[in-house]
Amino acid sequence: MKHEMAKKMVLFSVIGTIVAMIFMASSIVFPHPLLLVLAMSIGQGIAIFALVLYLLAVALDLQSSGEMYIPVEESPAVEPPASAEGIGPPPA
Amino acid sequence: MLNIHSTEQLLKAIALASAALSVLIGIWYIIRRPHLNRGTKSMLLLGLGAFPLIVSLTGNIASFEYTLSRPFCGSCHVMGPYLRDAEDPKSNSLAAMHSRNHKFGENSCYTCHADYQMFGAITTKQNGMKHLFKYLTEYASTGPDGEGGPPIHLYKPFKSGACMQCHSATAKKWVETHADSAEAIRSGEMNCIDCHNEIHPLALSRRPKTAMGVVR
Repeated sequence: MKHEMAKKMVLFSVIGTIVAMIFMASSIVFPHPLLLVLAMSIGQGIAIFALVLYLLAVALDLQSSGEMYIPVEESPAVEPPASAEGIGPPPA
Repeated sequence: MLNIHSTEQLLKAIALASAALSVLIGIWYIIRRPHLNRGTKSMLLLGLGAFPLIVSLTGNIASFEYTLSRPFCGSCHVMGPYLRDAEDPKSNSLAAMHSRNHKFGENSCYTCHADYQMFGAITTKQNGMKHLFKYLTEYASTGPDGEGGPPIHLYKPFKSGACMQCHSATAKKWVETHADSAEAIRSGEMNCIDCHNEIHPLALSRRPKTAMGVVR
């Protein structure tokens, strides 16, 4: 489930980056003031958002495949009741 | 064949090449849809992280360099008369004479009109954003040279400091020819353009309201 979600996020990230790159490259080739301002603000915004999305997807994918170390809280040890001490079969 | 003659062109070439590589990696991923293994992730990190970062850095610098140039200033139609006059080899206006000077070169508008102070480049670009806003909101559909729009004027009076970047106010010849007004000019009471006022005559002739005294 998480792996599928990560793949979708990567796909959106790739599409976002392609849009941002075309936007920014067009402003370099056709440097009209409005295009420059839009490309260097919105274009860069899209590219940053796409990168963050990709990094999140990688983290999610690592988590789902177990490659990422996630500390698991230890369950508290259950102590035998005092009254039961000495009762039962001897240790092997 | 790609000819690179300046740093700006080199930066633009790097930015375009990086953008192309980033797009190619993206298209490769969309077509092939490979499994998200370590190799794919590394490749995507290049395409979505490293190359866009290079595009952003080099593109910003190259774009900033381009915004200093005369063609950029003249790319809004209201600046048409100013640009034509500055680029006219027969014109005797101050703008044209300075534009013919190789020290000013392509950046003649910026050299004279940029704020001459510590954060001058930043305040000048802030004003540039204001220009763009006014251009879009007040000068759209105002004729081929924007002559139907409101008069164009500077945000603050033109200071002699811009002239004195090159024209020394202490040189012997200057002192001799400006003996009567030297102190007043140095103190700021008088400005160079009070006398040397043939700056943008063609542009002002296209805008009679501006020529009546709003400009400076």
